[in-house]
Order: sequence, then structure tokens, then C-alpha cells
Amino acid sequence: METIKNYLDTMFQSLPDSPEVRRVKEDLLASMEDKYQELKEEGASENEAVGRVISEFGNIDELFSELGLSPEGTEEEPAEESILLSLEETRMYIHDAHREGRHVAFGVTLILFGASVLIFLAQLFEIRILGMGVPKPVREYMPVLSFFIFLVPAVGLFVNSGMKMDAYKFIDQGEFSLGKTTRQILGREALEIKDANRIYIVFGVLLCVISPVILFVAGMFGDTAAGYSICVMLIVIAAGVNLLILAGTREDAYKKLLQMDNYAQTHKRENRIIGAVASVVWPLTAAAFLIAGFCFGMWKTAWILFPVVGILFGAFSAACQAAAGKKE
Amino acid sequence: MISSDVIRGYNDTMILYLLLDGDSYGYEISRNIREITGGRYIMKETTLYSAFTRLEKHGFITSYYGNATQGKRRTYYSVTDAGRTYYRSKCEEWELTKDVVNHFIRRDV
Repeated sequence: METIKNYLDTMFQSLPDSPEVRRVKEDLLASMEDKYQELKEEGASENEAVGRVISEFGNIDELFSELGLSPEGTEEEPAEESILLSLEETRMYIHDAHREGRHVAFGVTLILFGASVLIFLAQLFEIRILGMGVPKPVREYMPVLSFFIFLVPAVGLFVNSGMKMDAYKFIDQGEFSLGKTTRQILGREALEIKDANRIYIVFGVLLCVISPVILFVAGMFGDTAAGYSICVMLIVIAAGVNLLILAGTREDAYKKLLQMDNYAQTHKRENRIIGAVASVVWPLTAAAFLIAGFCFGMWKTAWILFPVVGILFGAFSAACQAAAGKKE
Repeated sequence: MISSDVIRGYNDTMILYLLLDGDSYGYEISRNIREITGGRYIMKETTLYSAFTRLEKHGFITSYYGNATQGKRRTYYSVTDAGRTYYRSKCEEWELTKDVVNHFIRRDV
């Protein structure tokens, strides 16, 4: 039954949402559901029933022209630009999205690794294993400087991949359409990817969850050990986050193309809100981290800002999506 | 298999015929057409609703929301007087068409 509804949604996707269109769509759905129900009662299988209903649907253009509508939109609603993507173009998009996903993952690894080095060096200076006879300002700024050595190329990677993916902005915004066969092929691939990704996600989450355990265990061996264990923990988190980003971008590319889940047209607004909030929250967090570090020398503790904000932000976007789901 | 080109002009006639005896809704009409023709003609969903739209625009049928049966609010259609007149003229047209074409039908080819 869901398939029939999705099929009809796809057929009507490019039409403006007028009362007239909505009524015809409702009537069509009722009629198709009646037919489906009856075929099932006659003993047809799910697949047979859905197949019959869809094959007897007919040509949607016939109906549109009778309604005086063209799928490109009516005059009072300016035509939203919709680009028909070929299979090759979607392949190119997926390929690029994967590549840029790898770059972003590498950038995140660099930052976490940089933070790890920062804490490690700070630790060494503090217990005077390193830097004897070095003036105090050098001792204080050396670790931070080393962090920036990692941060700068990472930011470069982010900006670069952001610019590259900018060319595909219309896909993020759902201003494209797919041919029937392209959609089917991608749909099949998306299922395979989802299966393959499960193991990535399981390991990624596992690594992130068990990483604090390192802290607790090291804590038993004294403060110094705990300090070093933060470095190890960050590297473990980096590995986990890497897996999650790789899995995420792979799946995202398909979800965007097929407009599944949170990329469905109706969720566009929520995604914009979350995106807008993210673009404010994360730079603020970074600024707070830097201020805490430079002004108050809290480099060793201020990193906690990132995981805390991460969890809060996750909760916020979940709430946002839940609210949107309720509205529907 | 019936060529849809040939039958296109008479989809409206079939729908009006089924409405002559009482109001009906989309699926009932499409099921009746299938049953009456012994499954030899199945009207596509989009063809049916295009016809409804066209007939209503010309004032040959009117529509109203029926009571919700089985939780579904259906659009019912009923034929108007103009629709009956139109139906009669289509019947005459068909008789004529049939006569004319029949002159050119040979079975001994």
C-alpha cells in the first residue's frame, strides 16, 4: 500500500499544491486503494496487486493536460527549475560525494589528532620532561601552535570540499528529477549500501562509546596517566568518527538522490533550520574553545565543549525533526 | 486488445451510461466497465479521472463528497440533464459511425 502512495507522490511531485490537484490526487489514491484491496481479496500477492494497480494507472500527462496543468508548474507559481539527472550524472555525484566525504573525514581526523598532540605536548611541558630551559611563553604557546599546524590544513580541506560540493547544491535542495530506471537502479544500490554501512556504523559507534573507558582505566594509574589517556581517547574517537562520516556520506548521497527520509521534499524546511543553527553554534563553540584556551589556559579541559555541544546539537536536531513529523 | 485511439471518443459515453442509473464513484465505475466488457477493456486510472474532469467542466456531470464508508471519503458523480442530452447524441453518433465503418468490413479476406 505504501508503494502505491509513494508512486502517486512521485507522479504529483512536480505539481503545485492547489485544492484541485489535491482533490484529484485523493480520489486517485482512494480508487487505487480500492483496486488493491479487491485484488488482495481475490487472492493476489502483494507484488501482483501493486503491479496491477500501477500498470493500470495510465499516463499522468493525460490527466495534467485535462486539468490545464503542466508538470513544470503553473503561471502564478514560477516554475521551479528542475534538472533531469541521467544515470551517469548521478554516478558522478555519488563519486564526488564519496571523495569529499573522505576529505572531510580526514580533516576531522587531523583536528582530533592535533588536539591530541596539543594535550600531549602540554602534558610533557608541565611535568618538565620537555622544554627545560625554554622560556615560559614558548612553553605555553608551543602546544597551541602545533594544534594550528593540524587545524589549518583541516580547515583548508573543509572549505575546498564545501566549494566542490557547492556545484551540487541543487541536489541538496531537491531541485532535480530522476528517470524511472535511474531511480530503480539507485534504489537497489541504496539498499546494498545500507547493508554494507551497518558494520561501519556499529564499529564507529562502538569506538566512540568505549573511548571514555580509556580515561577511567588510566585514571586508576594516577593523574599523569589520565592526561595521556585523553590523547589516546581522541585518536580512538577520530577512528570512530571517520567510520561514521564515511558511512554517512555514502548513504547521504543516495538518500538525497532518492529524496528518502530527511531529504524528502517536506523536510526541506527543517533541514534549513538545522543548517542555520549549525552554522551559528559550531563557530561559537570553536570561538569559546579558543578563548578558554588562550585567555584562561584551559586547553586541557576546554575540549569537553565539543562533545557536549555535539550531544546537545544532536538532541536539538532530533527534536526539530520530531516536531516536523508531528506536524505532518 | 483494444486500441486506445479508437475507443478514446467513447470513454465519456461509457461513464455516462453507468451514471444513468444512479450516482457512483471512481473505482465502482472502473470495476463496472471491466465487468461489463468481460475484462476486455480496462480503463486506466488517469483516463477515468481525465474524463471526470472534462465532463464536469462541460456541465455533463456534477460531483459531491459522499459519506465516509470504510473510513474513506469518496467523490461521487451524478449525471445532469445536459449530460443525458450529450449521452443521447453520442449514442446516435456511434450508430452512425458503426454503420459507416461496417460498409468497409469484410470477413472473407
